[in-house]
Amino acid sequence: MKFLCVPCDTPMKLQAVAPPDGGSLSVVYACPACGYEMAMLTNAYETQIVQSLGVRIGPAGAAAEDAAAKAGCPFSAMLPGSAGTADGAARGVALDPDAVRWTAAAEARLANIPEFVRPMARTGIERFARERGTLEVNEQVLDAARDFFGM
Amino acid sequence: MKGYHDIVGDGGSRVLEQVVEQRARIRDGLAGVRHLVAIGSGKGGVGKSTLTLHLGHALRARGLRIAILDADFNGPSQARMAGVQGGVFVPGTRKVSLPRTTNGIGIFSMGSVIPESSALDFESTARGESHTWRATREFALLSEVLGAFEWGELDLLLFDLPPGAERTVQYADFLDPRTAYLLVTIPSEVSRGVVARSVAALARGSHRVLGYVENMSGYYCRDCDAIKPLFPEGGPARADLPIPCFGSVPFDPELARRCDEGLPLADLAGTPAGRALEGIAERLLNGLEATQEHPR
Repeated sequence: MKFLCVPCDTPMKLQAVAPPDGGSLSVVYACPACGYEMAMLTNAYETQIVQSLGVRIGPAGAAAEDAAAKAGCPFSAMLPGSAGTADGAARGVALDPDAVRWTAAAEARLANIPEFVRPMARTGIERFARERGTLEVNEQVLDAARDFFGM
Repeated sequence: MKGYHDIVGDGGSRVLEQVVEQRARIRDGLAGVRHLVAIGSGKGGVGKSTLTLHLGHALRARGLRIAILDADFNGPSQARMAGVQGGVFVPGTRKVSLPRTTNGIGIFSMGSVIPESSALDFESTARGESHTWRATREFALLSEVLGAFEWGELDLLLFDLPPGAERTVQYADFLDPRTAYLLVTIPSEVSRGVVARSVAALARGSHRVLGYVENMSGYYCRDCDAIKPLFPEGGPARADLPIPCFGSVPFDPELARRCDEGLPLADLAGTPAGRALEGIAERLLNGLEATQEHPR
């Protein structure tokens, strides 16, 4: 979908995306020539159609994307022990001295995979680490798990 | 006044751009896969999934590098049958590795992600109206799987398609044009009729349908060491399907038991079903080499 400022005959540019509110997405466009602004307000069906494409409107890091990321795994309700957190992990490292810690590099790798496999990946890798007597998941542990489980 | 095609870009929404990027990720991810084979039918309950797994084992026994993508997201069965329900998807530096069977077949199945007590569901702003968006969402998920997982260097990637003649065609339209199709039927006129419709529908899209397999072609009685009929015999002559038959596989209760329990299948190679699958694997490989990839 593209928007044209008719008086200027100039393509309008996306300015801001507000996260879905009650199923409606607000996308503000502005004309770079005259500054005229307009908002596209979607209904729930239109919002869903865009979401069903597996895309997010706006540049990476836009508000809508951040909001969607915070919404977490789309299957979280179906996964045991997910507790509604972003990737299903029961975060409690500070309270539990026996909790498995993830290094920043390992977390970055985990963040790079589809949301829907993160909970089971985290759980499985933490189990793998514990079985090998470590409470830290780092890149070496991930590589070892990859050799053990993967292809 | 400018028209749609006069305007370059989309003003910053990036919707089309993201779709194109996803397609590029899929193309790059499958670049090392020599053959893509989708196993479908149109008819449900004919044993597509078991045949896919058994065929995968028969091909693996030839030393080929095999992976299976269980594209039946709503009724996944490969994780259980292949014994990877507890498999772990491990993140690499760029892609996610697949769980593998004991003999090295990579398996992606939603059955490894979602317990059998749950049904696949998606967050939605239009709940109760899933008929308007659900298929699109499932294909977006398939895109994500194809783009995010590490398929690597494979001789064959087998797609286990969901049932439904219309679904078979939707997948064919979605999948890489290199994909070849192997259809599965059982010895019943009802099933052959549905598969014939799938053949006709796939032919409209110029898809590369190699042949079909007749599954449950009798059952193997271990006590008698004989194959006995499962379906009525001696009726009117069956209508031929307009594609080659790659073979007939008898139902073997022992195979069914092992699939239910996710046990290895390697030592069943010498059974009638195992021998039939070896023949089908041979004909499939010959068919793949003999037919030109279909440009779209």
